[in-house]
Amino acid sequence: MLMPRKVKHRKQQRGRLTGTAKGGTSVTFGDFGIQAVEPGWLTARQIEAARIAMTRHVRRGGKVWIRVFPDRPVTQKPAETRMGSGKGNPEHWVAVVKPGRVLFELAGVDRELAEEAMNRAIQKLPMKARFVVRAGTHGAPEVLV
Amino acid sequence: MSEVTLHAEVGRPLGSRASRRLRHEGKIPGVVYGHGTEPVPVAVIARDLRVALSGESGLNTLLTLEAGDRTFLTLARDMQHHPVRGTVTHVDFQIVGRDEVISADVPVNLVGEAVEVNRGDGLVEQQLFVLSVNARPTDIPSTIEVDISELVIGESIRVGSLALPPGVATDVDPESAVVVGQPPRVSVAAEAAEGEAGEEGAARGPAEGGAPAAETGGEG
Repeated sequence: MLMPRKVKHRKQQRGRLTGTAKGGTSVTFGDFGIQAVEPGWLTARQIEAARIAMTRHVRRGGKVWIRVFPDRPVTQKPAETRMGSGKGNPEHWVAVVKPGRVLFELAGVDRELAEEAMNRAIQKLPMKARFVVRAGTHGAPEVLV
Repeated sequence: MSEVTLHAEVGRPLGSRASRRLRHEGKIPGVVYGHGTEPVPVAVIARDLRVALSGESGLNTLLTLEAGDRTFLTLARDMQHHPVRGTVTHVDFQIVGRDEVISADVPVNLVGEAVEVNRGDGLVEQQLFVLSVNARPTDIPSTIEVDISELVIGESIRVGSLALPPGVATDVDPESAVVVGQPPRVSVAAEAAEGEAGEEGAARGPAEGGAPAAETGGEG
């Protein structure tokens, strides 16, 4: 699973999930993409599950890009522990996702197969997401108004 | 290159709140600048802009902007989009001269079928989607077509080998790849072996530069 090689600080505060994505909102590398329409935390495990669902459905050919990286540690206290005694232990890694962010991209397959594969991947995600197509290709308009 | 006349309102109120109200009315705030003139804030009707830029020349359509009592020959340049809806939220119109060489981004389209690559189960990977060209506004091509029927696995078509129309040049490195014939990375045997091994994918971190992790082939 994806995780940073080393970090400066082992534990982070949670922060707030407000606003929309500031960048990474368009399909840049491939022909098709999955775009988040809700905010949320995407764990490394969920990223991997979505990637596997997608690549298994595509079977042969195709190239997948993962556009998010889980670089935020999430801590948990052990079960049946009394409150206090400091912050819990880092348990897993998440990527902070805001609406509009393109999470995955895919190229090298036709639109129907890509849509099916990406819809399977969307089922593995904790937030609402949708299938998007690179602007100006595969019948997608260049300018949306 | 096609040329379209677009009506623009001048004297629009400035600021985010006023711009938001404009968008609710079906208009897009924008600005006209270039050739040493003072920037002029304008508003165009969203529907008209979409129709104007949906022609053959796409985003490089030459726009004759009728703004009040003045007329500008412009190109729609930097377009800002809503991150979720994808709609245009602001547009820059750059004033151009008919005999002035300007730079423009032209979409690169692949034509033909890469028979050799498909036969070898390879992947046609397009690496350059838009080419920055220098030309007079009327000479800017709507698309640059690249024939990939001769493409083989392990080879690439480079910018230097593109046939550009007369009057069109590019500053892009001629050695830059436009499209590459990628070999298949996972064989059938390897795929089967991995299916048995389970779902433990190796950690794939992005490169130092922040490029996203990418993989080809089947289950990796």
